[in-house]
Amino acid sequence: MSEDRPVLIDADVMLGRHPRRDVGGGTVAELLAAMDRVGIAEAVVGSMTSWLHDPARGNRELTGLLAGQPRLSPCWVLLPDTCGETGAGFAGAAVEAGVVAVRAFPREHGWDLAGADAAPGLDAVESVRLPLLVDAGQTSWQEVEALARAHPCLRIVVGGVGYRKLRQIAGVLDRTGNVSIGLADLSSHRGLEWLVSRFGADRFVFGTGAPYRDPAEAVTRLLWSELGQAEVAAIGAGNLRRLLRKEVRAA
Amino acid sequence: MNELTTALWARRPQQATRIVDAHAHAGPYSVFFIPDPDPAGMIAVMDRCGVAHAMLSSHLAIQLDAAKGNAATAEIVERAPGRFTGYLTVNPWQDPVAELERWGDDPRFGGVKLHPDLHEYPLTGSRYAPVWEYAELTGRPVLTHTYSGSPYNDLPLVGEVAGRHPRATILAGHSGVTPLGIDQSIEVAERHERVILEVCGSYNTGAAIAGMVRRLGAHRVVYGSDFPFIDLRMSLGRILFSDLSDDDRAAVLGGTITALLGKTGA
Repeated sequence: MSEDRPVLIDADVMLGRHPRRDVGGGTVAELLAAMDRVGIAEAVVGSMTSWLHDPARGNRELTGLLAGQPRLSPCWVLLPDTCGETGAGFAGAAVEAGVVAVRAFPREHGWDLAGADAAPGLDAVESVRLPLLVDAGQTSWQEVEALARAHPCLRIVVGGVGYRKLRQIAGVLDRTGNVSIGLADLSSHRGLEWLVSRFGADRFVFGTGAPYRDPAEAVTRLLWSELGQAEVAAIGAGNLRRLLRKEVRAA
Repeated sequence: MNELTTALWARRPQQATRIVDAHAHAGPYSVFFIPDPDPAGMIAVMDRCGVAHAMLSSHLAIQLDAAKGNAATAEIVERAPGRFTGYLTVNPWQDPVAELERWGDDPRFGGVKLHPDLHEYPLTGSRYAPVWEYAELTGRPVLTHTYSGSPYNDLPLVGEVAGRHPRATILAGHSGVTPLGIDQSIEVAERHERVILEVCGSYNTGAAIAGMVRRLGAHRVVYGSDFPFIDLRMSLGRILFSDLSDDDRAAVLGGTITALLGKTGA
């Protein structure tokens, strides 16, 4: 194995079963085996229970599941606190529990990413400098931009962008400084290279979308990209490490 | 690691396997922006990974104008015959007989491309009759778009035309796309020996592809990427890391489609 082999840290992974496709049992052991199969060193891990059943329960369970797993870091799911579901102290509790990022599913959880209901919770997440991960299918690019403008120190990573949205992605990246793009299903032909040439490698974060997506896609897309070693190293691990160390470039 | 993933991690093109992409396009597409959609940009990606050859139909042919688009496909192949073979696109609303007569014997084309969803016409419709006659006569494969639940190219419709035309080789493009569609595509292929599964699609996985090979054999499964509609590396990666023997992986990546084309002299 080459000593200068790129390190990959996956910002976009989930534990748990999925009700609409066979992703296996979704256990920690299965996740680690899947990471080893494609060569991923570490991962920021969310919970299918938080996404698809009960966010508060999923968040609680996740912390326990990942205890003693040095390669895996927890990512809790955020809700607006209008109904008191996750508690007013969500951001502080997340930090206390060792959570390194939060995730939002506004479309499926029935709230607006840039609306007033979620603003206090997002203010708190911004103040403790936790990155916010959101899939493109859970919101709109207009809402992502509005959120980025309203919370200029909030670091937002949009994943699952697909291959049909470069016209909108390029506009939002151009007009904001705190929005990054995840590599899970970033699948436009030569899109990664085109985006990096316009916006720089520091706006991109490795992620796979596993187990919903096959992690081999993002690994192959990055390693066989037409980018240089330094750019691959930044996207593979460096940019996420920088985000998790709570550095941010203001818009 | 296998030889391909070793090359991937070394960030050099693989040379262990002759990879043939059985599902490609070329050129711009109005619905979304594609960087570098032309053949030069496609060859650059092929060379980056070590993909030897691709079978393509121009986006112009499938999206707007079959006649102009087939001419564009022929020109692309003419300029790089070692890298590309054409699919002759038949749009059921744009004189299928004329397109088959114009290009059916042209050595730049190795098969036929159908896109029932885009053309809003069912795979079983009578306007496609000349295609099935041509396919049975020449042995050349017909690559059709498939999508589970579609009124135009759902898997039961593939089974219906395969039953009606048992000598036609049908490449089920995307293998139905969804997890349900992938299961259905395997079941259709089990019932019809000339249905071949082509594996590009936004929801496919290496595990599902390995399952196809277990159920059907590697001689019934072919790699395609859909590039430049989608980046070539997405589908390729699933196969690189899938739980296949080296021989089966080589068949899926190129051996199977090469053997199919060899039988037709294309």
